[in-house]
Amino acid sequence: MAGFLDNFRWPECECIDWSERRNAVASVVAGVLFFTGWWIMIDAAVVYPKPEQMNHAFHTCGVFSTLAFFMINAVSNAQVRGDSYESGCLGRTGARVWLFIGFMLMFGSLIASMWILFGAYVTQNTNVYPGLAVFFQNALIFFSTLIYKFGRTEELWG
Amino acid sequence: MAAQCLAHALVALSFTGAIGLTFLMLGCALEGYGVYWPLFVLVFHMISPIPYFIAKRVTDDSDASSSACQELAYFFTTGIVVSAFGLPIILARVSVIKWGACGLVLAGNAVIFITIQGFFFVFGRGDDFSW
Repeated sequence: MAGFLDNFRWPECECIDWSERRNAVASVVAGVLFFTGWWIMIDAAVVYPKPEQMNHAFHTCGVFSTLAFFMINAVSNAQVRGDSYESGCLGRTGARVWLFIGFMLMFGSLIASMWILFGAYVTQNTNVYPGLAVFFQNALIFFSTLIYKFGRTEELWG
Repeated sequence: MAAQCLAHALVALSFTGAIGLTFLMLGCALEGYGVYWPLFVLVFHMISPIPYFIAKRVTDDSDASSSACQELAYFFTTGIVVSAFGLPIILARVSVIKWGACGLVLAGNAVIFITIQGFFFVFGRGDDFSW
């Protein structure tokens, strides 16, 4: 009984070499998530234009998430390890500090969006959709960052 | 023979392109709709190939199967495609256009983006036909 799925294999599709296309698939998935997050926020801003319904300061989370996305993905994994030929303008330690700050901004924005959802919407007994929009924007940008950063392999860069 | 194949492909692609634009125009011009805001998605259609061409021009090394620039181009192209679908939905949510018009515009978007992808597939192949 134990291990009865050990010899199970997914049906093989030989026509497309997925290992070569891994980076492209990861980029496309990350793009879908990132821009869907932004359009959810645009939708909330358009449907709830008054500041009482959605305070315009809540856009800050999404802006910092986006900034963090580009900071995190600006350094390649090779530069953080110190492997690449040219050291870039920051060197290895600078790249690590940059990545650290990027991840801090990303996690900070995610936590802030959760705080906004619960502090400004769920506990206030108002229409909760704008709070959900802020949260989903930042959550989707967070997952997009992870997929774009860790879903691609740098071996395909030759 | 290959040139004839390409000519047939060109005709087929222009047909699907016309169908897509027809859907878009129907979404604007039908009797019950009459608003022309959905035509703004044409801007997204026109700029969608641009990141790919920028990446192709900037990347000189053709040995590598991928590069950071090319992947960033895929990222932004996907974003432009998502935006072309998002805009009509938001216009319908605030009742600038009707949901029926939104549906027609989304169908037109899908057909036009398939046409654009078809252009890249057919004319970007090069001489080798291996995967």
